[in-house]
Amino acid sequence: MKKSLMLAMALALPAFGVHAQATPTPADTTVYEDASAALILAAADETDSSDEKTFAAPDDFEDEDLLWLDDEDDVILDVYDPLETINRGTFWFNDKLYFYLLKPVAKGYRWIMPEPLMLGIGNFFSNLASPVRIINAGLQGKFTDAGNELTRFAVNTTIGIGGLFDTAKDHFNLKKKEEDTGQTLGYYGIGPGPYLVLPFFGPSNFRDGIGLLADSRMDLTYYLWEDRDYWAAIVLKAVNTVALDKDTYEGIKRDALDPYLFVRDAYVQYRQNKLDN
Amino acid sequence: MLKQLFLMLAAGIALTAATIASADSTPTDAIRGSVESILTLLQDKELDQTTRRGKIRKVINARFDFRAMSQRTLATNWKKASDEQQKEFVQLFSKLIENTYIGRVEAYTDEKVDYPGEKIKGKKAVVETLILTASADIPVNYKVYLKKDKWWVYDVIIEGISLISNYRSSYQEIVKKDGFDGLIVKMKAKIKELETQPA
Repeated sequence: MKKSLMLAMALALPAFGVHAQATPTPADTTVYEDASAALILAAADETDSSDEKTFAAPDDFEDEDLLWLDDEDDVILDVYDPLETINRGTFWFNDKLYFYLLKPVAKGYRWIMPEPLMLGIGNFFSNLASPVRIINAGLQGKFTDAGNELTRFAVNTTIGIGGLFDTAKDHFNLKKKEEDTGQTLGYYGIGPGPYLVLPFFGPSNFRDGIGLLADSRMDLTYYLWEDRDYWAAIVLKAVNTVALDKDTYEGIKRDALDPYLFVRDAYVQYRQNKLDN
Repeated sequence: MLKQLFLMLAAGIALTAATIASADSTPTDAIRGSVESILTLLQDKELDQTTRRGKIRKVINARFDFRAMSQRTLATNWKKASDEQQKEFVQLFSKLIENTYIGRVEAYTDEKVDYPGEKIKGKKAVVETLILTASADIPVNYKVYLKKDKWWVYDVIIEGISLISNYRSSYQEIVKKDGFDGLIVKMKAKIKELETQPA
C-alpha cells in the first residue's frame, strides 16, 4: 500500500495492510532444521511409548497423529531484526502517539462523522492512489490486474463521483487488489533487508520503506495539494482509517504476550503473502 | 399420552441423529456451523457478556484442537517440555487463543460471512471464509483436519497471517530469552490481566 498507511494504520494493523519482509539468518535456519529432525524423532518415540503414556491422559496423547498437519506451505518465520533495540524504541513512540493523540482524535472524528461519509472519504483516497496499483501491477507483468485497476479508476472517478463510491466493486464486481513498489522490488528479487519500524508509518523494512517513498510519488494526493494542505490530507486519511478500524491494535496490545513481536511477525507474514499473490 | 411421549422421543432421536450425521459432511459445513452459532450468540441481545462468552467458548472448544495448535506453536520446545509442562501449556494457550478470537469476533458482530470455497487434501482441508465489512472484505481461512469423523481447526489464517506461525515465532523468542518457565509465567500474567480487566 501507500501512504494510506500513515500513522495509525501502519502502527498496527497486521490485518489491514502494511509492508515488510525478512531474511533468514544462518543461525535460525539451523534451529529449524533441528526442529524438524526432533519432531520426526518425537513422532517415532511417541508411537513406541504411547502405551506407557496412556496413564497420563488417555485422550490427550495423540502426538504421533499431528505431524502430518505440517504443510509444505507453512510459513517458517525467520525475521532478520538486527535493529531490534532501536525498533522497539520507535514502536514505543508510535504506541504512545496512537493512544494519546491519534486515537482520541479519531474517536471525536467518529463521533461527528456519519459512517457513509467516512467510507466515502476512505474510497476517495484509495481512488487517488490507483496509479500506485496500476503502475506496480504493470511493472510486475500482471496486466490483467493493471487493466482491472485502470477500469476501476475510470469507473469510480466518473460514476463513483470522484472516487467517493466504489461503484466498480459494488456494481461491476471489480475488486481492488493492492500492489505497491515494495512488492515490485520483491518481485524482481530484491530482499527486504532488516526489519524496520518507521516513526509514524509503523512496521516496514528497508525495501518497503523505499517502496513507500516511491508510492507516495505515484499517489495523486501528492499532486493535488501542496505543503500544509498535503499533510493535512495525509492526516485526514490516517484519522479516517483509524476511525473506521475496529480497534485492531488495541486487540493486539491486550492479547499478545509481546506486542512488538506479534506486530513484527504479522507484518512479515502479511507482506510475504502479498508477494506470493 | 404415552403415545405422544413416544412420538416426541422418536422425533427427538431422529433430529439428533440427523444433526450428528450431517454436522460435518464437508469441512465448510463444519466451519459454517460454528461460525453461524457464534454470530447468533453475538447478535443475541438478551445475553449478558459473561454468559455469551461462556457459550462462545463452548462452540470454540468443540471446533478448535488446542492440543494440535499448542504442539505446532511450540515445535521443538514441545518435545523438550515435560508432560506436565505440555499439559499446562495447552491449558494456558487455549485460554489465550479463546480470548484473542472472542475479542476479535466481538468487533464484527453485524458483518456477513461468505464461504467462497474449500480445498480438501486427504484428511486435511482449508476452508475459505470472507468477512464482508463496510470498508473491506477480510479473508479468514481455517485449516482443519479430520479426527474421528469431525473436522478440527488447527490454524486460522487472517489476511495471509497464520495465527500459529505468529505465535510460534514470538513464543520461540520468549523461550530463547526467558526459558520455558519464563514463557509460562508470562502467559499466566497475561491471562490474569485479561480476567481482571476484560475488554
